[in-house]
Amino acid sequence: MKKQSMWSLRLSTAALVLIPVAVGVNYIGKLLAALLKLPLWLDSIGTVLAAMLGGPIVGALAGAINNIIYGFTDPISFVYAITSVAIGLAVGILFYKGFITSWGKAVVAGLIIGLVATVVSTPINIGFWGGTTGNIWGDALYTFVLAKTDSTWLASLLDEIVVDIPDKIVVVLVSYGIFRGLPQNVIQLYTNNEKIETLD
Amino acid sequence: MKRIVVEGLKYKYPLADSLALNDVTFDIKQGEFIGIIGKNLAGKSTLCQALVGLVPHFYKGAYGGKVFVGGLEVKNHSIADISLKVGMVFQNPFTQVTGSKMTVYEEIAFGLENIGVPRSEIIERIDSVLNLLKIEQVKDHNPFDLSGGQMQRMAIASIIAMKPDILVLDEPTSQLDPAGSEEVFQAIQSLSKQGITVILAEHKMEKIAQYCDRVLLLNNGKVVDFDTPGKVFSREDLEEKGVTAPVYTRVCKALGVKKAGTDEYPVTLEEAERVLRGDGA
Amino acid sequence: MKSISLYEEGTSFVHDVDPITKLWYIPFAILIPIILPLFTVSFLLIGLSLALLLAAKVIRKTIPVFGFVFLILITVVLIQGMFKPENETVLFQIGPLTMYKEGLLFALTITLRVINIIGAFMILVLTTKPSDLVEALVRKGMSPRIGYVVVSVFQIIPEMMATMSTITDAQRARGMETEGKLLVRIKAFLPLLGPVVLGSLINTKERAMALEVRGFNSQAPKTFLYEEKTYQFSKILQMGMLLLTVAAVVWRIFL
Repeated sequence: MKKQSMWSLRLSTAALVLIPVAVGVNYIGKLLAALLKLPLWLDSIGTVLAAMLGGPIVGALAGAINNIIYGFTDPISFVYAITSVAIGLAVGILFYKGFITSWGKAVVAGLIIGLVATVVSTPINIGFWGGTTGNIWGDALYTFVLAKTDSTWLASLLDEIVVDIPDKIVVVLVSYGIFRGLPQNVIQLYTNNEKIETLD
Repeated sequence: MKRIVVEGLKYKYPLADSLALNDVTFDIKQGEFIGIIGKNLAGKSTLCQALVGLVPHFYKGAYGGKVFVGGLEVKNHSIADISLKVGMVFQNPFTQVTGSKMTVYEEIAFGLENIGVPRSEIIERIDSVLNLLKIEQVKDHNPFDLSGGQMQRMAIASIIAMKPDILVLDEPTSQLDPAGSEEVFQAIQSLSKQGITVILAEHKMEKIAQYCDRVLLLNNGKVVDFDTPGKVFSREDLEEKGVTAPVYTRVCKALGVKKAGTDEYPVTLEEAERVLRGDGA
Repeated sequence: MKSISLYEEGTSFVHDVDPITKLWYIPFAILIPIILPLFTVSFLLIGLSLALLLAAKVIRKTIPVFGFVFLILITVVLIQGMFKPENETVLFQIGPLTMYKEGLLFALTITLRVINIIGAFMILVLTTKPSDLVEALVRKGMSPRIGYVVVSVFQIIPEMMATMSTITDAQRARGMETEGKLLVRIKAFLPLLGPVVLGSLINTKERAMALEVRGFNSQAPKTFLYEEKTYQFSKILQMGMLLLTVAAVVWRIFL
């Protein structure tokens, strides 16, 4: 059975209905991380799951809509919509290329996605905040690097990296765990790549 | 006039090993009220979904045979096209709430907006179905704040408002109490009397016996019988097919009393009463 | 049901302005200070946004948002004031810490920019019902399918939160620990999140089918239950913002 291109913009209804659920999962992931006082954001599990299940387009849409909606409670998140889109795209591509197939590879994927998020977020951090992130550990590192090297870019990049990489590794691991727990007929629902066979 | 024609329908879900529907053939005339019965996994829900095109268009899978509804061949038309002729109400009222509307009133409007019904007519149709399903008092409530029974009424109202010629209902009263079920069945019957064809998959056999013109008995994806409630519920092999006859039929069977001049047991309270009082003799 | 949006109902003229015009105001407020990078211009625009928020009687609702932002801005002021590479002119010293003019001016630029952007967004967010905004965009040609996705998030999140709190209570009743050492708290994460996610994903199948039979993919031109909300001055406001932007560009180039 040949897979439909992962870039198809003709989304099935099931794939579209997946998006609000993904945004909801992001939201409760973040809420739960705060409730359990975990030192990570864990606010992109839904985006990653949507990309695993529906491909890069669904992942990117989930990311964009996620930040637009968050924007209605916290306008700063509008600005970071691009980061969420990049996360959705990156996971979708990695997954559809068949890269994420084991726990070990999921860790590597988390690392890659953390880097993608960093590369996209850093210019936004510099443009918006002058380079800091508001995270205590990251900003301490920023101050240290800035004092040593005089490079705002390096300082800002490292500031974001120390926060993003551990977060994204955990996010991809959690999402991969959930993905493996899903029944086959649910996974099959979103891909919409099959033709109807005939029994006549 | 035939509204539904099913010829040699075969269907297998993706990833499944066996056929969910196996060589199903029957036809239904306009205005008939049809019950579909059978044990769990006999194929009732699959057959209902085959009449609106969810089988095969939503699931994909493997499909054979022909299904015509209101002149459209299901295989060659989109679900959106078919849904203008055939409405379907599902078992779980909770997942039928669109989640995009803040009130019951707006929720019912959802389908009408999608198919492009003019605004004045939308309002007219909603008011009429709110009245038919007796949910006017909750029209401004949030759909998720309703009780299971009210949600089920809303789900039925939402489909009826789209004015399909054919109405398919898959256990539409599972969340309703007996009085509520009775009200909903009467509402459906009133539509049937206006000429709408009704197909109903249901476990409540007393209701099937009371309201249906004919009953389709399914077992393992095959049609076992398609006849009047009296004939189907009088079958000796009913238990083997996982179906328990209405209580009135079982009582009369135990007493060995049949309807006068026939080989059938009574299936409703009225019939049983008549036979047991000896009026029907 | 608890709403996640910050929208507050009201009767002010800001509420009456149509969503599209309020949407226009955001790029307008962001672009003008970029075209004319003067503190006066930024102060003017912030003043305008605050005045509109006051007129809409929603200024109280902005406090938590601005409060959160100010926390981050304080670190920006401190770090830039002390460590910005271009720092030269000493302004003042507190103990071992030296604050420089260049860094503080840069921090002021950032502060004004952030407050300006957030102020402009808040006008839209606090005085516009999300579903009204989406409906206005769908009327302008946005895909109704995407419109559905956006609006349904506002209903689905409270639903999922309710499910999660049920599960959290149940797990705690069964003795799950959600406080204490980091490892204990990490271990609690998946059992609390997993069931909600699985349940919600499985529900998508039935919800998608229910949408399909209600004409979700219909090709017919969509109609609307509610009449379009119009605002008599919306064209004038939109043209005005466009003209001011053009004027700012002209000013920048020729003066």
